[in-house]
This record gives sequence, C-alpha cells and structure tokens, in this order.
Amino acid sequence: MKKTNPSFLNGIPELLVLRLLSRREMYGYQIVEEIRTQTGESLSFGEGCIYPYLHYLEAEKQVSSQRREVEGRNRNYYKLTARGRKRLEELTFEWKRVTTGVSLLMGVQHA
Amino acid sequence: MPRTDFIEPLRRRLLELGCPMVQVRRLVQEVADHHEDLKQAALSEGLSEANAEVRANTQLGDPVALAEHLMVMLLRSSWWGRHSLIGFCMLPLLAVPVLWTLFLMLGLSLEFALGFGWDLKKLHAAADNPVAFHHLVLALHGADYAAIALVTLLFCWLARRSGVSFKWMVIACVICSLYSSFVYARIWPHNFALGITSTPQWIRAAIPLLVAGAVYIFQRRTTQRFQEKVAI
Repeated sequence: MKKTNPSFLNGIPELLVLRLLSRREMYGYQIVEEIRTQTGESLSFGEGCIYPYLHYLEAEKQVSSQRREVEGRNRNYYKLTARGRKRLEELTFEWKRVTTGVSLLMGVQHA
Repeated sequence: MPRTDFIEPLRRRLLELGCPMVQVRRLVQEVADHHEDLKQAALSEGLSEANAEVRANTQLGDPVALAEHLMVMLLRSSWWGRHSLIGFCMLPLLAVPVLWTLFLMLGLSLEFALGFGWDLKKLHAAADNPVAFHHLVLALHGADYAAIALVTLLFCWLARRSGVSFKWMVIACVICSLYSSFVYARIWPHNFALGITSTPQWIRAAIPLLVAGAVYIFQRRTTQRFQEKVAI
C-alpha cells in the first residue's frame, strides 16, 4: 500500500526548524526571525510557539541544546544532531514528493 | 529574570498543569530571554520602555495558551505521555508482580550478603535458632515492604517525569495496592515461598497508597516553595 502523508502539514514547522539548524546553531528568537525574513514574511511562527517545538525535537533527540553566554546574554543554543539530520532528509524528500504532486494537479510544470 | 505580565501567568499555568519543575524553570527562562530580545528590538525602533514591554507581551501571545501548548508537546514527546492508558493502567497489571519479585529478590540477596556473607551454612544455622529466625522474618518483611514501595515509586516517578495528570499516578498506585494485598512472601525454617492469597493483607495494601500520598504532598510543597521563591 502506498504511504499516505498525514504528517505533511504537521511536519512543516519541524522541517523549517531542522533546515535552519542544519546551517548553524541558533536560539529561539533567531529561529523565529530567520523564518520570518527568509520566507519573505509569508510564514511566521507565533513568538512563543517555537519553544514547544524545540523541546519536542530535543526530547526526540533531533536537536541538542546548550546554554551559553554570547555578547553578555545567556541563551539556549540549539543544534542539529545526527538523528535530526536524518529526519531532515526524510522530511525534505516528503516535501518534494508532495509539492510535485500538488504542482501536477494544479497544472504547473514542476522544475 | 524579568517579571512581566507574560512570564508570571505562564509559570503559574505550567505549574497548575503539573509540568515538571525542571521544564518550568527552563521554559520560563527561555521565554524570558525571548521577551527581552523582542523588547530590545522594539527599543531599537525608538519605542519607549513601557511600549516596548507591551509590544513584547503582545508578540508572545497568550501565556495560558502557550503553557497548554507546551504541556501537549511535552506529553507527545514521551512514550508514557502518548500512551498513558497502557503505561499506567495496563502495564502495571503485568509489570507489578514481576518488578515486586525482582526488587524483593534483590533486597533479600543484599541482606543475605550483608548478614551472612553469602554463606548458606550460616543461614541454615540462623534458621534453627529461634531468635535469629525472628530476625530473618523481620528482614523478609522489610525487603517485602521496601519492594512494594519501590515499585510504586517507580510508577510515580514515571508519571511525574512525563508530566501526565495526577490521576494516572493514582491509577498505577491503586493497581500496586491491589496486587500487594493479595500476594505474599513467607518464610519458615529452611523454607521460603512467594504466592497469592485470597485474604487481603491491609498493611501491604496501604503501602502504595501511603507512597502516593507522600509523593503528592512532596510535589505540592516543592511547587509552593518554588512559587514563593520566584515571587520574592
């Protein structure tokens, strides 16, 4: 049986956070700002809502965190783990599969 | 850490929902850091201190809703939180007798090692001596009650750690209590038996309930102390 994609929409925040953390380690405020600016403000996380996701990802061992002082401010920095990298690959594959399907349905030639 | 209109309700709601203290501390700290970043951004745009504070609070949203969202994610992140019915209702039905036997055997082994230096001859000699045998009976009861308490504590700890509601901890403790009232460990000179009896043993049944009560009081006191400490 072909796999369905019920987690597709739920997985978007996870995909965005993992993608950003794959580039460099960041703290919560930075992640929210990066999502807003890099998506041209078409996507934005509720400011406080990032932490439930980050804690969930940490409990799933997809990210790890460390409290550090940078420029006089103590913050929790998050970085991707090996498991997180694998999960990112899975989510990216799933994202491409779904967007290809949607593009076909909408009659748009997928690049 | 700044005390704002946002941080205090968030902390209070998390504690009300039974969020583990470690998680409360960490989350409140992170949200306070985030609040400070938002405030600094607003100040750099030329807003006054008061307006920057208000804007940061507005951007962070409803603290009660955030606390509830956090608890949902916390429950989703652990197996015990996702499968509370299996973990605290069905699993104890199977695991309590096994764990009780295991803890009891470990306790008895420890007593045997400390009291008799793993020497079976000394143990048999003690069994023939009425005074020493009385001590053996007491040691068995001690190990038995400690095993019951340990099994109960294990489920209480799992419930507390995963942030599930208090009812699941109570259900697991009631199952421990029911088992404890009908299983027994007995000793005769040169003989030892574990089994099931139809006569309830009320002292053994009370141990898990006392442990649950003690854990509940401990949690309440710890939460109260934490709230008093951060309120100063």
